Amino acid sequence: MNGIQVDMNRLKKGEVSLGTSIMAVTFKDGVILGADSRTTTGAYIANRVTDKLTRIHDKVWCCRSGSAADTQAVADIVQYYLDLYTTQYGTPSTKTAASVFKTLCYENKDNLTAGIIVAGFDDDTKKGEVYSVPLGGSIHKQKYAIAGSGSTFIYGYCDKNFKEDMTKDETIHFIKHSLSQAIKWDGSSGGVIRMVILTESGVERLIFYPDEYENL
Amino acid sequence: MAGLSFDNYQRNAALAAKSHSQQPKATSTGTTIVGVKYANGVIIAADTRSTQGPIVANKNCAKLHRISPRIWCAGAGTAADTEAVTQLIGSNIELHSLYTSREPRVVSALQMLKQHLFKYQGHIGAYLIVAGTDPTGAHLFSIHAHGSTDVGYYLSLGSGSLAAMAVLESHWEPEMSKEAAVELASQAIQAGIFNDLGSGSNVDVCVMEVGKDAEYLRNYLTPNVREAKQNSYKFARGTTAVLRESIINVCEIDEEEVCVHAAA
Amino acid sequence: MTSIGTGYDLSNSVFSPDGRNFQVEYAVKAVENGATSIGIKCDDGVVFAVEKIVTSKLLVPKRNVKIQGIDRHIGCVYSGLIPDGRHFVNRGREEASNFKKLYSNAIPIPAFADRIGQYVQAHTLYNSVRPFGVTAIFGGIDENGPHLYMLEPSGTYWGYKGAATGKGRQTAKAELEKVIDQNSEGFSARDAVKQAAKIIYMAHEDNKEKDFELEISWCSKSETNGLHKFVEGELFDEAVEYAKKEIAGDEDSDSDNAMSSDDEDAGPDVATTTETPATEGNADRDGDIEIE
Repeated sequence: MNGIQVDMNRLKKGEVSLGTSIMAVTFKDGVILGADSRTTTGAYIANRVTDKLTRIHDKVWCCRSGSAADTQAVADIVQYYLDLYTTQYGTPSTKTAASVFKTLCYENKDNLTAGIIVAGFDDDTKKGEVYSVPLGGSIHKQKYAIAGSGSTFIYGYCDKNFKEDMTKDETIHFIKHSLSQAIKWDGSSGGVIRMVILTESGVERLIFYPDEYENL
Repeated sequence: MAGLSFDNYQRNAALAAKSHSQQPKATSTGTTIVGVKYANGVIIAADTRSTQGPIVANKNCAKLHRISPRIWCAGAGTAADTEAVTQLIGSNIELHSLYTSREPRVVSALQMLKQHLFKYQGHIGAYLIVAGTDPTGAHLFSIHAHGSTDVGYYLSLGSGSLAAMAVLESHWEPEMSKEAAVELASQAIQAGIFNDLGSGSNVDVCVMEVGKDAEYLRNYLTPNVREAKQNSYKFARGTTAVLRESIINVCEIDEEEVCVHAAA
Repeated sequence: MTSIGTGYDLSNSVFSPDGRNFQVEYAVKAVENGATSIGIKCDDGVVFAVEKIVTSKLLVPKRNVKIQGIDRHIGCVYSGLIPDGRHFVNRGREEASNFKKLYSNAIPIPAFADRIGQYVQAHTLYNSVRPFGVTAIFGGIDENGPHLYMLEPSGTYWGYKGAATGKGRQTAKAELEKVIDQNSEGFSARDAVKQAAKIIYMAHEDNKEKDFELEISWCSKSETNGLHKFVEGELFDEAVEYAKKEIAGDEDSDSDNAMSSDDEDAGPDVATTTETPATEGNADRDGDIEIE
């Protein structure tokens, strides 16, 4: 480096990263978020049971990928914003949550490594929604979204197998198979598969161990 | 000239390349620290070696820091930073506790530490295991210098963390007794002491049980006590022959008594 | 209680010994002399109407718009110092825009009222500013239905079924009470437009010697798809016709007002009509404020 060229390494030296496989899928009754559980520092697994599915509001959650420090900080700030929003204006929509994520990620894009999927259930419309907020801070409404280093391996699988308005069991099956493949081919993904299900009836958490998902 | 100037950056780079003396470098502690949750509380443990490059700077330093009476913190990374950040957040936690008239919570210390470290973007080289008890129970977290945090039943950090984690992964089990947990943690630290060059000397332990005062066990184990020497290595008088003797008076000292009378 | 010369009316941030803020009270006086503005809440929306005194025959009819939009779903009308009102609306637009930019949805009207209310209140605290010389009536439709608010120079605001301010407020309020009572079983936006026109015409009766233009806007779920729009065309003409008929019926038609709208120079964007009773040309409003 000579002061003119810039360090192109996205992660700062020694930074903890979420080399990740994450996804969120809308279905008949709402939306399901899924993620692996591996956190790495270089070649070392810093945490093999990480929880990358983070609550932003009662029924708005997000999947985090990129720098652990950055995504945790951003998620904390969005959670604060939505708490404030709730006291002032009432329950925020998933779109509103995604919009706040976008604002933070876009305005600080030079200092952040954060790829986030925002997913939530709207109690008024009884519908699940998924927004993808990738690295540059753009925002994309999708029927389902995949992200993280492991997602590259499952674009084809997901495109072929996703169907609109699946049942809860079909959706869990779809996510489990997708992430199983992502984990299999991506060295930076691994551990357990975590899921969070957002529906009318509330929030449900699931966990799948390697014994179960490796030999599907 | 308008705009940013990178002259100094280039000058420093050129100076660093030319100079024979080493550029200033932060003291980094090769360390092994662990934290283990057990049935009714949590413990943390650390080795006591502090290094400056290849030199052992301190054979018995303290890496367990008190944030509040029942929240303790084990630090790895830059020694000065772990000490400073721990004391700063310790002060703020005490003020917060006085202000709210409540016992400090581990999550509060965690949030304050992570926000402080995130603000400094990794330039504060503190890698911490934060543990403690509060009205909501026992808690165990780790924080990396960039501000990311993890939760766990057992955690290890520092250059000896791989050796320690190997022990924890093979012997940890849920709902252990306090004694078993202390034994496991000290075994994990010893794995670091004996297998990692950056770690060494003794084992410090701090036990935090729900509803009880924290027990700080300084030098809980001392597996590296220096053995007494088998022989005396003093040389007997006269071992060295006297070849010549000469005494030189460098100066003369005259002694004289002077009486001083105080004026009126 | 006399206040002149006591000094308590010179500064914004100082109370008088009996706990009054004279600067705010003077601002209210400015409003009380302003042209009449009203707002009516109906079943699925709100209607705004304002009396525009024609201060010069040289003014181009329909070209001097008073009611303003704050967001696509919020309208606003005010009485008092016009430039203060313009600034008020600009600030309101900023608030609405900032909210939409951050949260990606339109600002709820109660939230808007709260924000702009705080802004107006802040102008009663500092020596470097003076209070707003307007009382604003604003409202519209959000996800919770129609809302109507009136905000005073002190920063206080209340939610109303019908609101009136300005010179003719007493007449207007009395009439609003009647109208809202009569329509308690159901009040369509179209009916509210007609009633609004009538009320402005009635409120103008005490100020007959001066010319005025009528301006009406509305924001209704069924009629304007939740957007704030000006009332124009047939409905507007119908409302004016109804208003005049009602006035004539009430007072045995003591004036034969000649309609003189639809001039060739009038643009299509805003529909208003000019009343031209035979009065003296230049009717400058005297802005003297008296403190008793």
